[in-house]
Amino acid sequence: MSVRLWNPRKGVERRPEERALDRLILELRDEPSPKLDWERMETQLLREPRPEPTSGAPSFWSRLRLPAAGLVAIAAVATIVMARKPVSLPEKPTAKLSHAPLNGDQLALGTRLTSGNQALVVDHPGRARWTLDPHATAVITNAGEFLTVKLESGALSATVVPNPKPETFAVEVEGTRVAVHGTAFRVERAGEHVQVEVSEGTVAVEPSGTHSAPAFLLRRNSRGMFALDGRTGSVEGNASAVVTDGDGRQSHRTLAKAAVASRPHSSAPAAQPAKPEVSAEPAAQAQPLPAQPSISDIEKGVSSAVEIMNRCFHDQTRTTGNRVSASTALTLSVAGDGSIQSATFAPPLAPGVEDCAVSGLRTLTFTHSTEGVTFTRVLELSR
Amino acid sequence: MTDLTDLVERCKAGDGLAFREVFRNHRADVARLVLRMTGRPGDLEDLVQEVFLQVYRSIKDFRGQSRFSTWLYRLTVNVVLMQRRAARSRPVLQGATDDAFGADQRDLPDDQLARTRRVAAFYRLLDRMSDKKRTAFVLHELEGLSPSEVAKVVGAPVLTVRTRLFYARRELLEMLRDEPALEFVARELREEQRPGESSEPLTEGEST
Repeated sequence: MSVRLWNPRKGVERRPEERALDRLILELRDEPSPKLDWERMETQLLREPRPEPTSGAPSFWSRLRLPAAGLVAIAAVATIVMARKPVSLPEKPTAKLSHAPLNGDQLALGTRLTSGNQALVVDHPGRARWTLDPHATAVITNAGEFLTVKLESGALSATVVPNPKPETFAVEVEGTRVAVHGTAFRVERAGEHVQVEVSEGTVAVEPSGTHSAPAFLLRRNSRGMFALDGRTGSVEGNASAVVTDGDGRQSHRTLAKAAVASRPHSSAPAAQPAKPEVSAEPAAQAQPLPAQPSISDIEKGVSSAVEIMNRCFHDQTRTTGNRVSASTALTLSVAGDGSIQSATFAPPLAPGVEDCAVSGLRTLTFTHSTEGVTFTRVLELSR
Repeated sequence: MTDLTDLVERCKAGDGLAFREVFRNHRADVARLVLRMTGRPGDLEDLVQEVFLQVYRSIKDFRGQSRFSTWLYRLTVNVVLMQRRAARSRPVLQGATDDAFGADQRDLPDDQLARTRRVAAFYRLLDRMSDKKRTAFVLHELEGLSPSEVAKVVGAPVLTVRTRLFYARRELLEMLRDEPALEFVARELREEQRPGESSEPLTEGEST
């Protein structure tokens, strides 16, 4: 809006009252523009679903436009009168409700995207295309060569074009980083957990801000549920743990839940039937088994495992008065009958500690399930 | 201009980023006009938000026959007038205007406090005017639009706008006497003016 202000002081001779009015007008003109919470308003405006402005063929609803105009006006007034903050858009026929894909390469660093009732598609031409589920919020935290999206709520799915450079696209959820190696996958923030499903390619899940901590590698048709710090989680399907040593070398430990290691940290896990056998249960347990043990059951098992590990480390580690500490990622595979199928340590611990730990861990049992579960917990041991 | 045209076209195509750009470029102007039209800071946020919702809904109807700013002025004025009409059927909280302007007045210096009160009082006067006269007055006297531009915004002949401006000003002058917070401004000016002395040696004609 261009403003060309007429100067009321320049005019014919005026009475004092007129000059007073002119003075008041000038005073009002000089008032600074009001300051509002623009950021919040912008978020609300962009969050709400909006009908596509471009009109196509006349629809049933558009033919009703004139008769409905009065109702719309009433609704608009009611919106102003009653809705107050935030002002929400009236519901529209859903046929035209869809967000046009956004060009992700034009989005500035720090851009926060919030989908409304519809999914929001962001396209980075030639690199990646990701879709924010309805009612989800994400922030672009790295808009350069390596794209990073921070998922604040909800879920997103992404398809990433394979690239010789690793991890050109990553999704962060709190302290969990889901880095992509050319793939199609989905990340969902589910309360205090992050759920990752991989349909194509490979995805690495690891704590944010560090590449030295053990990571989970999820491959095609696998999924996992991870804590928000990215350090622990359970995986299902074709997955493995990755350990990076100080020189950046990585070693992979297969976590396939059907595998049974005759010994911990076996480099060649023995093949086992893909489906854990589910034995016929007594009539008292007629209820169908869950696919996996519950989170609380897993956490109880983890607590017991940590206790066993601490005890073994304490008993099997010799010291000369100095403090000794070790860090390892313990991966436990639990069969459908609740027994421990394998336990691996990455990196390995002293043989005495491992033997002690394996003996203790084999005594653990979990609730029965149809598929069993595999989970990893990073342990900090000290004596 | 090309940028603005491009922006508008992208908005029409449903480009959310373009809409955000429009919002960022014009939000301050819209907020200022809304405040001048209503004089109520308390209603400001809702109305500005409503204006931009209307922008999104209606931008497909903008054909570039007028300037975008004119179109936006018209839309803003319509939103405000619609709200005022709705408000007339509701009970009014007396003193809401003063309260809104005086919420944080305790720590203001005296002169600033006096100015804030004058502004609030002036808005009270504007509030007493008819919608048509107030709209013409705000657009011309405060926003600086020419009478022909005001005519485009309100959809009335220029002559009608000039008439509204004339009567708006005359009404305000009469109302000034009844408003203690403003009447003293005129009294001060009277006292400043010595007997037999012209108020101001002015030569240029009034633009209206």
